[in-house]
Amino acid sequence: MNWMAKPRFGGTATATARPPAKPGPATTAAAPGTSVRVSNGLKEFLWLISDVRNGRILDLGQVSQATLTFFIEKGYRVSTEDFLRSWKEFLSAEEERMRMAPVGEEMDKISQAILAEKFLETSLQYPEGSFHGVLAWDLFDYFDAELMPRVMDRLYTLLHPAGSVLALFHSRPAERFHRYRVVDAQSVELLPAPTLAVHARVFRNREILDLFGKFRSSKTFVGRDQLREGLFLK
Amino acid sequence: MWSKSAEGKESSQAPQATALDPVTPKVASPSVMAASPVSASAITTPAPGASSTISAGLRIHGEISGTGDLYIDGEVQGSVRFGQSKVTVGPHGRVQADIEAREIVIEGTVQGNLKAAESVRLGGTSHVQGSLMTPRVAIEDGARLRGKVETTRAGELKRGAAAGQAKSAEVPATAPVTATKE
Repeated sequence: MNWMAKPRFGGTATATARPPAKPGPATTAAAPGTSVRVSNGLKEFLWLISDVRNGRILDLGQVSQATLTFFIEKGYRVSTEDFLRSWKEFLSAEEERMRMAPVGEEMDKISQAILAEKFLETSLQYPEGSFHGVLAWDLFDYFDAELMPRVMDRLYTLLHPAGSVLALFHSRPAERFHRYRVVDAQSVELLPAPTLAVHARVFRNREILDLFGKFRSSKTFVGRDQLREGLFLK
Repeated sequence: MWSKSAEGKESSQAPQATALDPVTPKVASPSVMAASPVSASAITTPAPGASSTISAGLRIHGEISGTGDLYIDGEVQGSVRFGQSKVTVGPHGRVQADIEAREIVIEGTVQGNLKAAESVRLGGTSHVQGSLMTPRVAIEDGARLRGKVETTRAGELKRGAAAGQAKSAEVPATAPVTATKE
């Protein structure tokens, strides 16, 4: 199929920050510090899944009424899993467990790799090919080196053939921790939130491509607000 | 690049879901049930329309069903079927059960699937692990959901709930809870 021939969603070609939008019926009043950015990545993501009947979306950010409503009204089924929060809670629980364990008992066997494996035994547990799209937001900026490739492998497995992932990457260390929600077909709202995790790394473009090396193709959109959007097609 | 396969590329379905305005859940003044250990069979509800409460400190294992509204601020394990009524899980409520009702409001913790004939509302302090099946869903900021959201046509689950209630009479009170993962 010639993807250039397919009608696109409208909008500008560059990602720009703009003032918070008026809350629609599906959103609550904008909190101080929120901003709405034009998202060409989202626009492309929607275009890629636009013809899928009964498509399924996995949102790995904080559950949001606006995002849910947006996709449900378009006929998609949405699964949500606040992945970063789950990971942090898992680490806290493991730390607590280790603290309570008798001295010397299996403590030397714990490594980041083992923790990542153990975490994924209970997270992202869906059948293969379940989703036509995954909203990963900026999660990868916060993962450690052991968790990242394992999550990537799992996401690849969970994606339907020709499914796509929308991910965001900061071009410099994030000053604030944000949550994201979809405002409309070409806008994403950034919501300042209590810091859940420390920004772990700034990806270079080559590292992003390597991370998504299994994927068939990719597109990157660079915004003026130091946020890059990546769209990766299985 | 970016080419789409022909598979599954039909037009999307017409939307069924509508968003609810965020409103603080209103719960009728609850009647308090006994604080001593109670078996599931002892849980009864008053006249239709009235509400019952499983208050904080009360722990129930088994199947709970009825016609009045139910407010849960204690712990419930098993299943909750109030097909024609409203079920509210209060901020202290901890439910490990599937919930079926006309309207479901969650402020506490639920591990189980939620099926509502009219709407599901997740409050800002809610923590739900399980699927939502409902025509309308409202999620306040701060709510936590791990699971899928499926919208149904209004009334679709009412018919299902009626059938389910007829069936549930045959289920022992200690029937195990269905796994909540997708």
